[in-house]
Amino acid sequence: MPTIDGISDMVIRTTMTHAIQEVMRTMLNQSADFHSEIDARKPGDTASETAGSQVVGTVGFIGDIDGLIYLYLDTEFAEEAAAHLLGLTDEELEQVGDEAINDAIGELTNMTVGTFKNQLCDRGYHCKLTIPSILRGSNFSIEPTSSVTRRTYHFEVGRHRIITDLLMKIDR
Amino acid sequence: MRYKILTVDDSKTVRIIVKKAFRTFDCDIIEASNGVEGLAGAAKERPDVILLDVTMPVMDGVEMLTKLKADPALRSIPVIMLTAEGGRDSVIKIARIGVRDYIVKPFREEVLVDKVGRVIDLKPLSENPLKAKSILDSATILVVEDKPAIVQQIQDGLKHTPWKIHGVATINESVDFCTRNQPDVVLVSLSLPDDAAFTLFGLICTNVRTKYTPVFGLVVKTEIQAQQQAQQIGFTSIVTKPLDIPDLEAKISKAMNLDTSQRYFTTDQDVFVLKMPEIASQSSVNEMLTYLKPKMAEAVDAGICKVILDLHELKRLDVIAIKALLQALQLCRELGLQHVLVGNPQIASESQGFEDTKSWTFANSLEEAKASLARTSPSFSAQPAAAGA
Repeated sequence: MPTIDGISDMVIRTTMTHAIQEVMRTMLNQSADFHSEIDARKPGDTASETAGSQVVGTVGFIGDIDGLIYLYLDTEFAEEAAAHLLGLTDEELEQVGDEAINDAIGELTNMTVGTFKNQLCDRGYHCKLTIPSILRGSNFSIEPTSSVTRRTYHFEVGRHRIITDLLMKIDR
Repeated sequence: MRYKILTVDDSKTVRIIVKKAFRTFDCDIIEASNGVEGLAGAAKERPDVILLDVTMPVMDGVEMLTKLKADPALRSIPVIMLTAEGGRDSVIKIARIGVRDYIVKPFREEVLVDKVGRVIDLKPLSENPLKAKSILDSATILVVEDKPAIVQQIQDGLKHTPWKIHGVATINESVDFCTRNQPDVVLVSLSLPDDAAFTLFGLICTNVRTKYTPVFGLVVKTEIQAQQQAQQIGFTSIVTKPLDIPDLEAKISKAMNLDTSQRYFTTDQDVFVLKMPEIASQSSVNEMLTYLKPKMAEAVDAGICKVILDLHELKRLDVIAIKALLQALQLCRELGLQHVLVGNPQIASESQGFEDTKSWTFANSLEEAKASLARTSPSFSAQPAAAGA
């Protein structure tokens, strides 16, 4: 069975970048640019990147490798993305409420994590997706247990940003 | 019969995107949010195709697919996977259970429609199927022609219509246009380099959004070989250069199955007006006569008993025009309708030269004709003795 040691930092970064770019281009007709890697060992760095009201989608993957990806979108971007996906005006989106936005961001996260993990599957790391879930809030941080490897990236999408936070188990 | 598409996905967003993708097609979308609901929906509705996600609560897509294929009553329903599970091994494993196609999320709506269109014969949904489009409705005409002068001639010639004429010079531009718009008719020059017209025709015919779009070939009159080739592969019609704009307009109207009766027939309060065109060509007269009986019957049914035969725009009173007018007058008499002719000095003069028309008298304007009809006995008419010949 392949181990996570076989996946370099560069592979993780390019795989994640491809996933984000593919989903943004196909579903939102927007280009996404890699901006920077955030040092997750410094909680302050992550917190400053995700300050303000956030909609966070989460989808896991389990199999030869286990992991979880959080997708952070500021609320304004989440609303714009949901309106685009659902073909709704701002007023119509307001009527359908947060549930529709949550579902749309959950699906965007599902697609992103799917594209990420499908590339790993094709490298021999077989795994399956889990069902999406959503977190909402401001100024919160996610702290993993010590037995995970973590990579956090900042992407620019138009005037918005997306933060991807990847956590993978390292000891199996 | 409307096709039924069953979308099985726990994400309401995906189900909405599916509905959005097919909203312009004549089909019903049925929704299910997991495999259990999907199997129940398949058994109840017998859809023509199922779009199936993999990762779902209650029952996932693989289990639903396995159960579906094990059910003799349902196994023949084509399934297209629509899922974020796209690893090579997963795809192979699921494909072995029996699927028609596999779409990995993220996906474009056009790809979804294209793949479904390969399984069922999707037909575009007309805006209002109960009402035929008329010549007063707007339409989009795409002209694929690398000679700007021809595009200009078509734009100028058809500027009196509500149609929007878009000119593009290359096949790539036309494909690009068709992905953003849905043209009602495409005119393509058969003299584009590298047989591009025939390549474009193939693309239009295989695209689910445009496969029913009429395609005309534009070609010089003497290029017989290109005309024959276009006819053989199924071009809707051939339009020859130099262009005959009235003929082009008639062909476009026919291809779009437009109701053209408004060109000839209107109702002005309690008066039914038949308007002869400026030039009474055989094709325009034939078109007018197609509508004559039903339109006049419709008017009588609505309580109208006065008719104006308006010839004031007609440039020449020839045999074609006279025959058509005699038919209209005969119908007026059969239905017992009061009728009045409106003409111009030229027509009034020419009418004296024919045995059948020499007794015709004309009002000079619609107002004069209406005033005449308002009196019991019209003073401008075709007398039975003369018109009945």
